[in-house]
Amino acid sequence: MLITVLPQHHTSFLRAFQAHKEENWALSLMFAVTLDLRIFANNAEQQLQKKGKGKVGDMLEKAAEQLMSCFRVCASDNRAGIDDSKKWGMLFLVNQLFKIYFKINKLHLCKPLIRAIDSSNLKDDYSMAQRVTYKYYVGRKAMFDSDFKLAEEYLSFSFQHSHRSCKRNKRLVLIYLLPVKMLLGHMPTNLLLKKYDLLQFADVTKAVGEGNLLLLNEALAKHETFFIRCGIFLILEKLKIITYRNLFKKVYLLLKTHQLPLDAFLVALKMMQVEDVDIDEVQCILVNLIYMGHIKGYISHQHQKLVVSKQNPFPSLSSVS
Amino acid sequence: MTQLQQKFYKMTSCERRRDQERCRTEAKLQESVFHGTCTTMCPISEVQRREEQRQLHRFEMKRGTEQERYPRADLSRTVKEYSRPAAGKDKIRACDLRPPDVLFKTVCYLVDEIVASPTLQPWTEVYSFVFDRLRSVRQDMIIQCVSGQECVAVLERIVRFHLYASYRLCGEPLQLYDPYINNTHLQECLSRLLECYSKGQYDHQEEFQALSLLYNLGSTTTLQHALELPESVRLSSPVQLALEVNRAYIERNPVRLLRLARKLDFMQACALHRHLISCRKDLLMIYSHGYSSRNCRFPIQKLADLLFLDSSLALQLCQTHGIEVKGDYVVFSKTSFSESMCKELQCTQMHKLVDDKQPDNSLCSIIHGTA
Repeated sequence: MLITVLPQHHTSFLRAFQAHKEENWALSLMFAVTLDLRIFANNAEQQLQKKGKGKVGDMLEKAAEQLMSCFRVCASDNRAGIDDSKKWGMLFLVNQLFKIYFKINKLHLCKPLIRAIDSSNLKDDYSMAQRVTYKYYVGRKAMFDSDFKLAEEYLSFSFQHSHRSCKRNKRLVLIYLLPVKMLLGHMPTNLLLKKYDLLQFADVTKAVGEGNLLLLNEALAKHETFFIRCGIFLILEKLKIITYRNLFKKVYLLLKTHQLPLDAFLVALKMMQVEDVDIDEVQCILVNLIYMGHIKGYISHQHQKLVVSKQNPFPSLSSVS
Repeated sequence: MTQLQQKFYKMTSCERRRDQERCRTEAKLQESVFHGTCTTMCPISEVQRREEQRQLHRFEMKRGTEQERYPRADLSRTVKEYSRPAAGKDKIRACDLRPPDVLFKTVCYLVDEIVASPTLQPWTEVYSFVFDRLRSVRQDMIIQCVSGQECVAVLERIVRFHLYASYRLCGEPLQLYDPYINNTHLQECLSRLLECYSKGQYDHQEEFQALSLLYNLGSTTTLQHALELPESVRLSSPVQLALEVNRAYIERNPVRLLRLARKLDFMQACALHRHLISCRKDLLMIYSHGYSSRNCRFPIQKLADLLFLDSSLALQLCQTHGIEVKGDYVVFSKTSFSESMCKELQCTQMHKLVDDKQPDNSLCSIIHGTA
C-alpha cells in the first residue's frame, strides 16, 4: 500500500517544485524528499526480496525514475543568475542516483550523469561533502572500466577530503583506492591498514612486494568473500603481473648477470608452486613484462636467455604505469 | 487555417483519442497475464494472410505448390514470423499466442527439421529463417511472461543456435550474415537466461555460465557475475576452465590461452572463436617487443605451434602484421609490427582449432545439447 503512496507524494512535490520557476528555496526540501524516497525504496526492496516477491531492483529502479525527473527539472533551469539556480540540486541527485545504480549493478547509466556534472561550471563549487561522494563513485566506476589513473585521482581526492571524523567513509574509499594504488606501484603501510581495519590487504601487499606468488594466491583465496563482495577481486588478480615482475627481479639480483637463463625463471615459478607452466609460458610472461615496460631487455631464443639492459633493467613501478 | 490543416488537426485529435484508448486497454492487458491458446506453430489467421499476400517462405510451402501463383502453406511447416510491436496494430489476441509447450515444440521443429536438415541450402538462408522464427518465439514468451524451466529450455537452444551461427557463418558477406545483429540477440538471450538461472536450479547452468564467460572474454561485468555465483556452480569444471581462460586473457598470456582453448568442447570453442584472431595478434605483438633484437631468430615452426596454426598460415599471419620472415626463421622487431590485418587472411582460414572439435553426430544434438 505505502509503496504506491510515496511516489505519488513525490510526484505532487515535483509538480510544485517545477512550478517555482524563479527560485530555488525548495531545494533543501527536495534533498529531504528524495533522500527519503531512496531509503524507502531500499527498505521496500529488502522486504519484497525477503518475501520472494517482485523483480530484483524493481523498487529501486522506480525510485531512480522519480529522481531522474527531479534531476531534469534542476538541469533545465537555464536562468542566467546562478545564485538561486536549481542547478545547485544536481550533484545531490546524481549522488543519490549513483547509490541506486551501483546497488542494482547498472553502472552504464552513470555515464550521462557524469557528463552532465563534468560539463557544469558549478562542479567545483558544490559542497565538499557532495563532491567527496561524487568523486568516490566516479572513481569506482573508472576502476571498473580499468581507467586506473583516473580512478586514483578521484579516489585520492575523496580520501583526502573526507572529513577527518568520518572514519567509516575513509575506509570505504580505501577499499578501492588501495588496489588502484598497488597496481600503480604504491604499497600501503601496515600502520594504515591497521588504522582502518583493512588487514585483509596485509598479506596481499606483502606478497606483491616480495614477488611471492604463492602467498598472493593464498591471501586472495583466504579473503575471497570479502574481496568479491567489494568487487575488487578482479583488480587484485591483476596484481599478479607486478608480482611476476618482483619475483623475476629477485632472480636477476641473485644471478648478478645481464644474461639470464630462462630455466632460472621456470625454477622460480615452480618454487611458487605454479605447477602447470613450461618454458613457453615463462617466455610469454617475460615477453609481456617487456612489452609493458616492466623489464628492459629482450629474449634470445637461440641461447634461451633473457638479456637485460645494463642500466635500470627493472624500472620502478611508478615510472612504468 | 486552410481546410487541409483543419482536416489534419481533426484527424490527429481523433488519433490521439484512439491512442489513449489503446493505452488503457494495454494497461488492462498488463494486469492479467496472457495465456495463449494457439496450438499450431503458426496462428491460422497468419497462415491465411501470408498465403494471400504470398509471404510464405519456401521452407513453409506445401510441396508441389511452390510454382503456383499462390503457393499453399504446409501447416506442419509454417511457423509464426516475427513482427515488430508497432503502434496502430490490433491488440494482442490469445489465439495468436502459442503457449509454452507449443513454443518448445516449435523450437524443436526448427532445430530438428530446419537447422540440421542436410537438404535445405544455403545455410545462410536457413539461418535467417530460423533467426526470425526464434525471435517470434521469444516474443511470445515475453508477452506471456513465461519463466522457469519452460523458458530456460527454449533459451538454451536459442543461445546454442546463435553461438553456432557466429562460428559457422563467420566471414559470410554482410548482407547474408551480420555478426553485430547476431551478437545483439545472443547477448539479450544470454542475459535473460542468466537471469532465469539466478532464480532456481537448472541442469545446464554450468555449461551456459561457462559459455557466457568465453563469449564475453575479459568482460569485467561477466567476470564479476561469475564470481558471485553460488559455489556449486562457480567451482564446477566448465566454469573453472572458462575462468582460467579469462585469467590468461587478463594476464595477457596468449600462449596459455591458446593452450587452454584446446581443452574446450565444440560449443565452448564456438563461443571463444571470435576472440581468437585478436588473441593471436596479441601474441605476435608482444613477441615483436620481447624478441626485438637484430641478431636473434625465432623458428617459424615453433611460432606456429604457439599460435596453433599450420606454419604456412603462421607465415601469412606474420606477413600481414609486417613481421619479417627469413627462411624458416622469424625476425621480430618492435618497430616493424603493424596492427592492421589485411583482408586476404580471413578468420575462416584459421578455424582449425574449432573445426577439429566438431563432433560427428548431427547438428541437432549439438543445438539440443545432447552431443
